[in-house]
Amino acid sequence: MRNLPTIALASIAAISLASPLAAAQRNGAIAQDFKLTDVNGKTVQLSQFRGKTVVLEWHNPGCPFVAKHYRSGNMQAAQKTARQQGVVWLTINSGAKGKQGHMTGTEAKTLIATQNIQSTNYLFDTKGLVGKAYGAKTTPHMYIINGTGELVYQGAIDDKPTANPADIKSARNHVLAALKEIKSGDKVSVAQSRPYGCPVKYAS
Amino acid sequence: MTFDFRIFTIILAFVALALAPTAEAQNQLGNTELNVPATLMAESQQVKAGQSVTLAFVMEPKPTWHGYWENPGDAGIGMSFDWTLPTGVTAGEPQFPVPDRLLISSIMNYVYKGDYAILVNLALSDAVQPGPLPISVKSEWLSCTDEICVPEQDELSITLQIVDKDTAIVLNERFNGFRDALPRPLGSDASFAVNDDQFRLSIPLPADVDVGTPYFFIKEDGIVDYAAAQKFNRDGDRLILETAARGDGLEEINGILKIGKDMGFLFKASKGEVAMTGLPLANPLADDGPTQQAGASLLFLALGGALLGGLLLNLMPCVFPILSLKAMSLAKAGGDETVVRRDALAYTAGVVLVATALGAVLLGLRSSGAAVGWAFQLQDPRIIFVLLALVTAIGLNLAGLFELPNVNFGNKLTQKDGAAGSFWTGALAAFVATPCTGPFMAAALGATIILPPIAALVIFAGLGVGLALPFLLIAFVPAIRSRLPKPGPWLDGFRKAMAIPMFLTSIGLIWLLGRQIGTDALGLSLIFLLAVALILWWFGGGQIKGLSRGMLTSGAMTAAIIGGVLALPSDAAMNSQKLANTSTATLPSEPFSETRLSELRASGEPVFAYFTADWCITCKANEAAAIQRTETADAFEAAKVTVLMGDWTRPDPEISKFLEKHGRAGVPLYLYYAPGENPVILPQLLTVATLTDLVNGPA
Repeated sequence: MRNLPTIALASIAAISLASPLAAAQRNGAIAQDFKLTDVNGKTVQLSQFRGKTVVLEWHNPGCPFVAKHYRSGNMQAAQKTARQQGVVWLTINSGAKGKQGHMTGTEAKTLIATQNIQSTNYLFDTKGLVGKAYGAKTTPHMYIINGTGELVYQGAIDDKPTANPADIKSARNHVLAALKEIKSGDKVSVAQSRPYGCPVKYAS
Repeated sequence: MTFDFRIFTIILAFVALALAPTAEAQNQLGNTELNVPATLMAESQQVKAGQSVTLAFVMEPKPTWHGYWENPGDAGIGMSFDWTLPTGVTAGEPQFPVPDRLLISSIMNYVYKGDYAILVNLALSDAVQPGPLPISVKSEWLSCTDEICVPEQDELSITLQIVDKDTAIVLNERFNGFRDALPRPLGSDASFAVNDDQFRLSIPLPADVDVGTPYFFIKEDGIVDYAAAQKFNRDGDRLILETAARGDGLEEINGILKIGKDMGFLFKASKGEVAMTGLPLANPLADDGPTQQAGASLLFLALGGALLGGLLLNLMPCVFPILSLKAMSLAKAGGDETVVRRDALAYTAGVVLVATALGAVLLGLRSSGAAVGWAFQLQDPRIIFVLLALVTAIGLNLAGLFELPNVNFGNKLTQKDGAAGSFWTGALAAFVATPCTGPFMAAALGATIILPPIAALVIFAGLGVGLALPFLLIAFVPAIRSRLPKPGPWLDGFRKAMAIPMFLTSIGLIWLLGRQIGTDALGLSLIFLLAVALILWWFGGGQIKGLSRGMLTSGAMTAAIIGGVLALPSDAAMNSQKLANTSTATLPSEPFSETRLSELRASGEPVFAYFTADWCITCKANEAAAIQRTETADAFEAAKVTVLMGDWTRPDPEISKFLEKHGRAGVPLYLYYAPGENPVILPQLLTVATLTDLVNGPA
């Protein structure tokens, strides 16, 4: 029975994305809507969060660059800060079955508990359709969508593209900086940066 | 509650991750458990004050692992260098070799799959004192397989020795190979434009440079969509690229145009207007990345092309006579089905084996870096001469000048009865057919460059099967065999007519031979060819009189052919012939070497040395506008200037070092050595006056 949600999510994603292999989303454009299944098999749709700022985070627990931000607690802290500001944080796993970082719902729940992951929801994109529609290349790869549904940031979590946790202290966290600017009604000063990390482990 | 093994493995994975820093620390202590281990080497252990030394980071990925180019592409990370250097020593920019592409699920990675070396120049100030010179560098890089990535780091060190000016320095030869893998400076700038979602780049490259399947690697991020297809147009002396853009916002970009394994050009491009003019590169691959699916469909496409091309080859003047007469002999065998089939299969085996063997040799030569194409064996005049003698002899035989016992045509091997005879006929047909393959086979054979070797060999075999297909049909479809005209007196006339295409092939080979060895040498070769013809004539005359002159004829023929091969000009003579041909010798030159240069300098002669490459457009422009001009040639001749020309079209370590010594990473370089004076480096844009003033003094 464990496969059922996966199949359901795949069909939903396929229907809701007109052109799943379209080029990456552009800043300022309305972000592509999607439906994905969470760790409990429940469907989550992006458009249900209209009016709120949404952060998308591409995740692969086996990637050393993701580990840099989770082992240090940096990502969890950012998630907590964001949610305290009323921001929705969706962590998405596009790892295909049999590839590094792929998990079942139960496995993900264990991971969330052991690592104290603070995101609003953890979603599966096993077919990689949403990841490809957003042009997500690396883990982590971050996106911010504002209350009106526009994409306002895409790129790296910070400006120190290393796997060394010691670099976090001196790095500029692009996501937290952008959220602060959005909250105070300013334009996002760094709206695009080069994502760094492992390649997303898509199915094909 | 059941124990879920997967949860257990995940927990294990996190434990392993938590322990990872310890592993990294061990690496720093010299425990090389790295997946892409790095070694620091110096080109020479001894260095001198005021000079520079090249260091290499030799990276040796374990099987299935890869490292990244300075721009890693969509994912991945480039290499970092944190130097600890003594005072008076500065490290230059790292120089990366030409990278490969690795497309995994539409994520483009710019990588190195095999061993590679990154070079860095260390410059020493005049003030450094003799003694040990400790160099240390902390480096971080990302190592990945197609599945996982591991950030790696190491602290590398090396101690060099500063020696005084008079000590001789020994250079490590391996560095020549490292330098060959670096991209070479193109010498002229490109221009680029970004319009909406479209990126265009116009690269100056002479029209006659063969680019194969080009690819542009950009150094800066955020401009080009790495995974998008790259379309190339050729418009005269420009190569124009169009691909998807990711952004705008830079006035200048840098990159490498890769046109072959380890063959790339480094250049910068500034913003300008770029129109997609000219003709698309006739290359079905430019649109596809090197994906598995594309490879498979390409293989079928190329295999189909090879089959069809092989089939068409049967109509070529060099093959048709052999084929048609063999077909007749099959028809003659007529009734006996098993004999016919055995002969046809033996013939096919001969064709396929030779076609595949030629393909294997071709791939071998290619992978060793030689720029060879199909019919490469025709680049060797010795093989052309033997082929010429063979084709002429077949022609004379068809014309009826002589008969071979029990056969209707062919050389000694092909006349053997039965299966062996058919096998050698097939082998001969495949070998003789190669010069005719060009136009039909270009696309299919082009594909062999990028396909894995096994697939490429399949294509060569496909070519052979196509060539043998008519025979197989005749042998295995009785209906076709019964349609063949019955052998009769007309066959003798037909056979004589078939001599015409054979002699046409001879004329083609004579022309080819003449181009390679020059008309003087060609005359001598033709005398040997005449000897071959006369011997056969004498042999034929004997046959009419019923005399057996077989033994004598074989001996005389062998002597004539060996004599013809030995009489061919030597390589050195051919090179000077080629030089004389290519430069059309308005300003004759000698090939450059440092020995020749110092000889000329020692004897007090003025020398003009220039360094060029076929792909360098600035070089070609200067040659046309200033060097290969009568005014220049006359002035140089009057002043007895010796001209040395260094051709850097293919990597040449001696020229590379000489260029580097003069502060140049690439061509063009123009030097004038007045007797007893220091050399003058001339500007990169030459005029006739610049050159004539050297010897006449300013007007």
